[in-house]
Amino acid sequence: MTEETLFRHKSIWHMIAAPTVWTLHFAIIYAITAVECSKIGTPEVARLSILVLTVVALALIGWIAWKAWVQWDYPDDQDYVHDKPTVEDRREFLGHAGFLLSIASAIGVIFVAMPALFIETCL
Amino acid sequence: MSDTDTPQGTARRGDGGKVYDAGPEGIYPPTEEMLDAPVDPEVKARREADLRRAWETPKGWRYWSAVNNTEVGVWYSLTAFFFMLCAGVLALLMRIQLAVPDNDFLSADRFNQFFTMHGSAMMFLFAVPMFEAVSILILPAFLGARDMPFPRLSAYGYWSFLIGGIFVLGSILFNVAPSSGWFMYPPLATEQEGIGPDIWLLGLSFIEVASIAAAVELIVGTIKCRPPGMRINLMPLYAWYVLVVGVMILFAFPPLIAGDFLFELQRSMDWPFFDPDRGGDPLLWQHLFWIFGHPEVYIVFLPSIAIAAMIVPTAAQRPMVGYSWIVLSAVGVGFLSFGLWVHHMFTTGLPSLSLGFFSAASEAVVIPTGVQIFAFVATLMVGRVTMSQPMLWIAGALAIFTAGGLTGVMVAIAPFDWQVHDTYFIVAHLHYTLFGGMVFPIIGGIYYFYPFITKKKMSDRLSKWAFWLTFSGFNICFLPMHLTGLQGMPRRVVTYPEAAGWDVLNMVSTVGSFIVAAGILVFAWDLLRPKGRQPLTERNPWNAGTLEWSHDVPEEAWGVRSVPYISSRYPLWEQPKFLDRFDDGRFYIPDAPEGKRETIVTSAVDAVPQAVVQVTGPAWITLWAAAFTGGAFILPVFKFYWLSAFSGACAVACVIYWLWTSTAQVPKDPMRDAGLGLRLPVYVTGPKAPGWWAVFITMLGDATAFASLVFGVFFFWTARPDFPPEGAALPDMMWALWALLAFVVAWGATVAARELNRGGRQGAARWCIVGAVVATLAALGGMWLAIVVPGLQPETHAFPAVMYALTVWTSAHCVLAVVMLLYCLAGSVFGKLTQLYDADLRNTTLFWHFMCLSGVITTLLVGVAPRLM
Repeated sequence: MTEETLFRHKSIWHMIAAPTVWTLHFAIIYAITAVECSKIGTPEVARLSILVLTVVALALIGWIAWKAWVQWDYPDDQDYVHDKPTVEDRREFLGHAGFLLSIASAIGVIFVAMPALFIETCL
Repeated sequence: MSDTDTPQGTARRGDGGKVYDAGPEGIYPPTEEMLDAPVDPEVKARREADLRRAWETPKGWRYWSAVNNTEVGVWYSLTAFFFMLCAGVLALLMRIQLAVPDNDFLSADRFNQFFTMHGSAMMFLFAVPMFEAVSILILPAFLGARDMPFPRLSAYGYWSFLIGGIFVLGSILFNVAPSSGWFMYPPLATEQEGIGPDIWLLGLSFIEVASIAAAVELIVGTIKCRPPGMRINLMPLYAWYVLVVGVMILFAFPPLIAGDFLFELQRSMDWPFFDPDRGGDPLLWQHLFWIFGHPEVYIVFLPSIAIAAMIVPTAAQRPMVGYSWIVLSAVGVGFLSFGLWVHHMFTTGLPSLSLGFFSAASEAVVIPTGVQIFAFVATLMVGRVTMSQPMLWIAGALAIFTAGGLTGVMVAIAPFDWQVHDTYFIVAHLHYTLFGGMVFPIIGGIYYFYPFITKKKMSDRLSKWAFWLTFSGFNICFLPMHLTGLQGMPRRVVTYPEAAGWDVLNMVSTVGSFIVAAGILVFAWDLLRPKGRQPLTERNPWNAGTLEWSHDVPEEAWGVRSVPYISSRYPLWEQPKFLDRFDDGRFYIPDAPEGKRETIVTSAVDAVPQAVVQVTGPAWITLWAAAFTGGAFILPVFKFYWLSAFSGACAVACVIYWLWTSTAQVPKDPMRDAGLGLRLPVYVTGPKAPGWWAVFITMLGDATAFASLVFGVFFFWTARPDFPPEGAALPDMMWALWALLAFVVAWGATVAARELNRGGRQGAARWCIVGAVVATLAALGGMWLAIVVPGLQPETHAFPAVMYALTVWTSAHCVLAVVMLLYCLAGSVFGKLTQLYDADLRNTTLFWHFMCLSGVITTLLVGVAPRLM
């Protein structure tokens, strides 16, 4: 019970960091595409920006996932249930959920970026 | 949000040695010996009598002034169920009309009214309110709390819902109901004669406000009213879903409220937001509607699946497999569901690249949605399943929902959607998701929780009848619709020619719909039939592990006998001696020494006790407030604008009276003995207080509505070449900047007032409040001069109209800000708000953080942005 506590160990905000990155990525590429398609008519800049933003978003999510994995600390005790009333279980649970959310968010980012690979016009 | 494992030994002391932030004192967590210490039977009896008196439900006609969650929750769910039956009758009448070709059972106009009201009522009067109703009813029991944190707010929400629901649904009896579809697309709905669209816009806005109130309450309940020890990793899964759905409501409903605001301005003042001839764009409404509308589907689905998440472990007699995975699933769906809205707009001619994003996100959301289904199946596989009645309904739900999910994957693909858009294929798809994702789990949940709610059981035999009738009838009705749709039958047509060849499929659907109705009627009879002579249920009939089954049989109104100390996810399974300790009152606040209704407030993540706060009791003022709020929303439908304003003022007066007399009262004794050697403060302020969280959460929703208006400005800018139109008058920059400055000054003065008050300089604090009021009024004036002086005419074009709309929105908030500041000033003068007890001022300051931000954005958008566009 005397485990030292970093803010992230008890923070739901850190848990939802990865899906937040997904949201920002989604909103920004939608906005860029909408503006370029209406003001210029071809999505050249948009597609390039989507590439860059996707790399950035995936890097961010990867970093978040790594921090969450460290917080989960699975190799230490192989615990994936986290149902004890302890600071350790709460920390590991938030890390575990944050890690899983990172995976889902990474898939989401890749999915959402894929149309830009195939679709070359604003039509 | 500071969480420690043990309370600080002494209260924190401020300058001059004065205590200004009392903390808990004593022992936490309790030891086993303390929990085992017996309670003297006489003391126990006296405490029970005290509690019973404090929580007594009013009798006779006064019953309707009750605010307890067990009363309000029952009214709420029965009302929502009644509205559902009404909407179901509309569906049956439509099915009769469509049973044979060239039928004239209903006129075209009536048919339009019926499908509009069927959709609107099912979504706004049944699905969302039902979530709120059930949560208000059972969430406190899951959390071992005596009540929701704001019982009067629940009651206010209920009465608002009742008034709004009767108003909207009643319109159909007078043949004036809205008739342009549940999504009210302009230009059809903006041009429609009569009051139908106004009823829809104003009536449902009113209900949305009530929904947001309920969401605020549920979020605060989940965050701040968990029992001591229930850390975030021990929370019942239902609470996780409630938290996610509450937050979703906060971000989904406000765009629709913003949309309604613009729409009603167009209908009553002729400001052309959606009129392309005058620079508007009907697609803006579709965006705002579906930014609400798609998350709405998940707002309906998640709480129902949350019920399944409570029933499945009980049926399997073991803890849920993959708790973390379910949390991933709930949170993941909560996020992804906001990236789907355009899949309702695939045929509106947006760039196909944009369509691709939404198509991809629609496919991605399947992953978290599927994860929870797999977690349920895994739990059932590793457990020893007893096939109870609730579990039968859940099994049916999973089957139907999966089928609806699969067609969902199909229609998420844009080219397929172009083929089936607006056909009966979509009707089949959406009913599979909503019946499987909402109706079946809710009915299963009612069978499951019925013994908890009424202390009686429903009938096994009738349940089987109801289930098989509903399940088979549903499939007979909706499975053929996939084919009807693929054969080309469009939605929302009053009839079809015989030559189309759709007659057999339609007849089958109609027969099926009546079988569903029979099933629902059997269920309704089982639900409502008198059960006076039936014996009471045993205490834990399903042998479940979660807290709600520690309820009292026969019923006691106090919610929980004592607020427990929790150390596991399934206390009834995993905490030995739990019920003995609970019943004996060996946990926290087992008494009501002052005869007050109280509950425990704990920290957000680790549930460390922070305070014992008083919750409000029975009152009529909530009814009055709801009635006047109803007047403010309903009277404009009939163009009684002054009466409406008067009614709104009365509503504000009622709310002020209610707050002044019953919230944030200065306590006689700052600390209370909570039991188990723990002394807790009875007044908390700032982020520890439920009220602070309620303001914060409400303002998040409010900020979302404002952001939707800002989105509107940028939408016009991207979608229209003439925004702002050439040579048009632009708002005055100097007045706008003056208003901006005044907003910042007012905000600064409010923050200064808070700091001065805490420092003990009440006089200076009051002057700062007065200064803030003056600055707010200066900002208000500046904003209006900025648009009036250059002569902007809102009827002429969407550009001046949206500048006016922003100004109106922010002005309304300025008025509210002035009221709040004056409330604090009065509190300070009359001793309700002191150096120690400053919750009202802290909350007002929090409001001002948001107010200042939206003021600055408004003035920049009005004064500066048009010159850059």
